[in-house]
Amino acid sequence: MNFFEKIFELFSTEKYMDIIFEGFKTTVIISVFAAILGLLIGTMVALVSISEVSPVTKVLKAICKVYITIIRGTPMALQLFIMAYVIFTFRGFPEEVTAIIAFGINSGAYVAENIRGGILSVDIGQTEAGRALGLTSRVTMFKIVIPQAIKNVIPAIGNELIALIKETSIVSMIGMFDLTMAAKIIGSGNNMASYVVPMSVVALFYLAIVYLLTFAIKLIEKRLRASDKR
Amino acid sequence: MISVNNIYKYFGDLKVLNGVSCEIEKGERIVIIGPSGSGKSTLLRCMNLLEHPTYGEVWVSSKLLTPPDPYLHFDVIKKSKTYNSLFEQLKAENPNLSDNELEEMAIKKIKAEDLLKKYEGSEYKKALKQITKDFGIDINLARQNMGMVFQHFNLFNNLTVIDNLTLAPVQLGLKTKEEAEKTAMELLKRINLEDKRDEYPSKLSGGQKQRIAIVRALAMSPDVMLFDEPTSALDPEMVGEVLDLIKELANEGMTMVIVTHEMGFAREVGTRVLFMDGGVIAEEGAPSELFDNPKNPRTVQFLKAVL
Repeated sequence: MNFFEKIFELFSTEKYMDIIFEGFKTTVIISVFAAILGLLIGTMVALVSISEVSPVTKVLKAICKVYITIIRGTPMALQLFIMAYVIFTFRGFPEEVTAIIAFGINSGAYVAENIRGGILSVDIGQTEAGRALGLTSRVTMFKIVIPQAIKNVIPAIGNELIALIKETSIVSMIGMFDLTMAAKIIGSGNNMASYVVPMSVVALFYLAIVYLLTFAIKLIEKRLRASDKR
Repeated sequence: MISVNNIYKYFGDLKVLNGVSCEIEKGERIVIIGPSGSGKSTLLRCMNLLEHPTYGEVWVSSKLLTPPDPYLHFDVIKKSKTYNSLFEQLKAENPNLSDNELEEMAIKKIKAEDLLKKYEGSEYKKALKQITKDFGIDINLARQNMGMVFQHFNLFNNLTVIDNLTLAPVQLGLKTKEEAEKTAMELLKRINLEDKRDEYPSKLSGGQKQRIAIVRALAMSPDVMLFDEPTSALDPEMVGEVLDLIKELANEGMTMVIVTHEMGFAREVGTRVLFMDGGVIAEEGAPSELFDNPKNPRTVQFLKAVL
C-alpha cells in the first residue's frame, strides 16, 4: 500500500476517526479559551506597561516586566509541567483548565508585547494633539490611540494565535488527549515510520483550523481598514 | 496671561532652554524666531506643559501649571534646613552684618550653588504644598483654554473632520453633541471646508489639514493660541491659505504665540518678536525695531542669513 492509500484507509476507518475527533475537540477547546485568556492578559499588561509612571503603576510595571521576561524566556513545555505538576497538583482538577491557564499565560506575554508595539507605533503627535486639547490621557488613549493601534496589531496577533494553536500539541507531554496524542495512539505499536500517516492526517486538521483563523483575521482586518476609507 | 518664569529644560545632557523668562499679555501676538535648535519650539511646548520644564515655573492666567520651583520663592527657601544651617554659619563668620544682609547672602549662595536638597524638612515641604494648593491648576483644565497648532497638523486619523472638531468639547462635557456640531459647522464654513465634514484626514491636502487643525483648536474657544511652525510642513502653494487664516485670527484680537520661519509674516502679524539663540532670548522688541535695527550680533547674523 502506498502513502495515499494508507491515508484514505485511515479516513475510512471509523475507529481511527473517532480517536482523531476526540483529540480535535481537546485541541480546539484549549486553543480557543487559551487565546481568549491570552488576549485579556495581554491587553491588560500592555496598558499597564504604557501607562504614566506613578507609585502604583511603578509596582505593576515591574511585575509585568518580570512576567514578560520569564514567560518569553523559558520553554513552554516547562511552563506546562510546572502548571500541571507543581501548581494544580490536586486530584480531579480538570487537565483542560490546567492547559488553558498555562497557554493563556504564555500567550498573554507575547500578545502584550504585540499590543504595546502597536500602541507605540501610533504617531506621538496624535497623543499630543489630544492632550493639548485638554483631554485626559485615558480618553486620548481609548478614543484616539487604541483605535489606530488595533489596525496595526491585528496581523501580529493573528501570527501569535496561529503559533498558539500549534503549540498546544505539547499537551500530549502531560498525557492529555489532543490531536497530536491521537496520531500517536493510532500509529503506535509499529516502527517510527508508522506515525507518518496519522501525523499527516492530523496535520490536515491543524491546517484547517489555522486556515479558518486566517480567514477570520482577514475579515476583521478588512472591516477595520474600511473605516479608513483609504 | 502667560508668564514664563526662569525656565530651564534639559534633555539628558542636552540643555535646550537655559533660563527663559517672558510675559505675554492679553491681545499680544508674540512671534518667536531663531535658528533651529535654539529652543523656540521647546519654549512653546513648555507653555502648555507638553514639555515639562526641568526648573522654573509657567503661569497661565494667574494659575501655576508646573510644580512650584523653590528657587523662585524666597519664603520657601527660608524654611529649608539648608538655609537655616547656612544662615547660622554665615552669622558666625560675619558677626558684624545685619540679619537682612545675612539673609540675602544665604539666599544668593543657595541659588547660585543649587544647594536645596530633595528633603528639607516638613516646614519646607508644607510651604511648597501650600503654593500648589493656592495657585496650582489641573493641567487638563488649563489646556482647555490654550489652543495648540502643530507643525504636522496631528488631526486624529481615525476620526472624520467633524468628529475631530467635536471630540474634545463633547468629551469634556463643555457642549452637547448637537451644540458642538453646530459650532463645528460654523467653523468649517468659515474656512470653506464644510463639504469635507465626513472625510477622513488622509483624504485632505496639507493646507486643508492645517486649517482644520486650527479650527479644531478654535472649537474649544481658547483664550490663547500656540502655533508651532504651522507652515513648515506645507507645500509652498499652501502656505498662503494657512497664514491668511492666522492673520484673520490676529485681526480679531486673539492672543497668540507663534514659532515660525516666515519672516514676512512675523513682521506683519507680530506685536513683539523674540529672537532665541542657545536656549535664551537673545533679543526682543517690536517687529520694526528688531528686523530693521537688530542690536545683538547674533540677531544681525541670523536675519542676514534668512532674509
